[in-house]
Amino acid sequence: MVKSTQLWGFAAAAVFTFSDASADDIDHRLFSINGFGTVGAARSSERQADFTSTVFKPNGTGFTRRWSPDVDSRLGVQLSANVTENLSAVLQVVSEQRHDNTYTPTVEWANIKYGVTPDLAIRVGRIASPTFLAADYRKVGNAIPWVRPPLEVYNLSPVSNSDGADLTYRTAVGNVSHSIQIYLGQKDFVARDNVSGTARDAIGISDVFEYGQTSGRISYQRGQLTLGILEPFFDTFRQFGPRGTAIADRYSGNNKRYDLMSIGATYDPGAWFATTEWAKVITRSWLGNKTAWYVGGGYRFGQFTPFAIYSTIRSNSRTSDPGLSVASLPASAASTANALNNGLSSILGFSAIQHTVSVGARWDITKNVDLKVQYDRTAMADGSPGVLFNTQAGFEKGGQINVLSVTLDFVF
Amino acid sequence: MRMINKISRRLASVVFALGAGAAYADVVVIVSSKSPIAALTTEQVSNIYLNKRKNSESVPPLVPIDAPGDSHIREDFYRKVTGMSPSQLTSYWSKLIFTSRGYPPREAVNDEAVKRMIAEHSNLIGYVDARFIDPSVKVVLVLK
Repeated sequence: MVKSTQLWGFAAAAVFTFSDASADDIDHRLFSINGFGTVGAARSSERQADFTSTVFKPNGTGFTRRWSPDVDSRLGVQLSANVTENLSAVLQVVSEQRHDNTYTPTVEWANIKYGVTPDLAIRVGRIASPTFLAADYRKVGNAIPWVRPPLEVYNLSPVSNSDGADLTYRTAVGNVSHSIQIYLGQKDFVARDNVSGTARDAIGISDVFEYGQTSGRISYQRGQLTLGILEPFFDTFRQFGPRGTAIADRYSGNNKRYDLMSIGATYDPGAWFATTEWAKVITRSWLGNKTAWYVGGGYRFGQFTPFAIYSTIRSNSRTSDPGLSVASLPASAASTANALNNGLSSILGFSAIQHTVSVGARWDITKNVDLKVQYDRTAMADGSPGVLFNTQAGFEKGGQINVLSVTLDFVF
Repeated sequence: MRMINKISRRLASVVFALGAGAAYADVVVIVSSKSPIAALTTEQVSNIYLNKRKNSESVPPLVPIDAPGDSHIREDFYRKVTGMSPSQLTSYWSKLIFTSRGYPPREAVNDEAVKRMIAEHSNLIGYVDARFIDPSVKVVLVLK
């Protein structure tokens, strides 16, 4: 007769005796797969225009749809390979609504990393652009306290990756740790309405610093930006003598140097957190120069975290231009010049100038799944459509809109 | 019959040895008894487990080992050492994994394996229930 205590003892002995010693003890894998995703729905109060989260999406909520799942829904899968202790490779593919209105998966990034020392590494390939605090993980909803990073700041540079190489270096100076990244690359992109563009000779530096409960990032990037879409329009100005040529050169989007700088920080003592970011872009073209910033915070009540954000963007460049002088022109030329001047005013005035107040809450349902609800109230400056697009005949610039968003994020 | 009695007596002593330590419910952070490290602060252990680069010349680099994902000791350890809930930890690691800036510690296949690995390698650090301490490992931090 075997007593139950003896059975229990036998089981314990089995653990000690039959388990293998070293190799199987650690979960050691050559490949690992991780992923993230968001299922979302957003509803804008403005029915005569669309609202969405990036310039790469061709439609959104408001005019095209009452509730749009395309604003925030996405799925990302990342495959990492640890080839040797120093060499690793990563491939991340993301499926989200893109410029052609499909969810065709695209390579978000793909690079090979070589660790020269434990603190110094080189990467070659498609690399995430570290332009803002959360820029390199802006698509990972689980890592962000709110539904989406504030658009006023993050749409200053909507491009999330570039092709090239970078160097990363980790160090600490006293109690401050730094993770410095220097990168160069280029990017070809296609935005909504098939507007294509390139960024060339982009070079940038970013420092992620951490001191106690404060962490943040300072970054700077410059490059040459070309947006072909309005070039035929500006070329028409060149028929109008030196003044016309000067206007064309000033506003042309062809191969213009841009500067993008930002600084952001988060203070997180545990029960609550506050984040602020400031960013500025100088484009030297019709895109203009802009400054944007936001401040946001939240308080953790167990698994429930309500939050609020204030974000704003303003233009630092002229939003109108006197254009060509019409008085001295013959009638037919004058009407063309008037049309060009009106077009120029319209383009410059299209600058997104607005501020948004957001309130919402995040509920961490399990450790890998969270649900967020966010209400944004956006006030646009007179004459500005803000970030709205697909504007219809009945649309009036300026004024206010509300957007209600619900998102479910998960990681695996 | 005598054979079974002999085995069962030996097994009983194993059970007794395990049961003797049941009075402790503390989580302890351990390194190999061969390691030169005597003690660590909570902050030092937190930095090691969260893959944070800090100036710690006095501490040789240690590779952290996690208890299995479903073990209760893991959640307890992280709350006490980092102050973070499992959800906060997931968000923390999401930022690092999906920017390729870092990966979470390797997981051992069970609690016994944690202790065995730590005992055998002086460059590893782990955490176990205080019941599992034996002379092959050294306690560098006790978490209450």
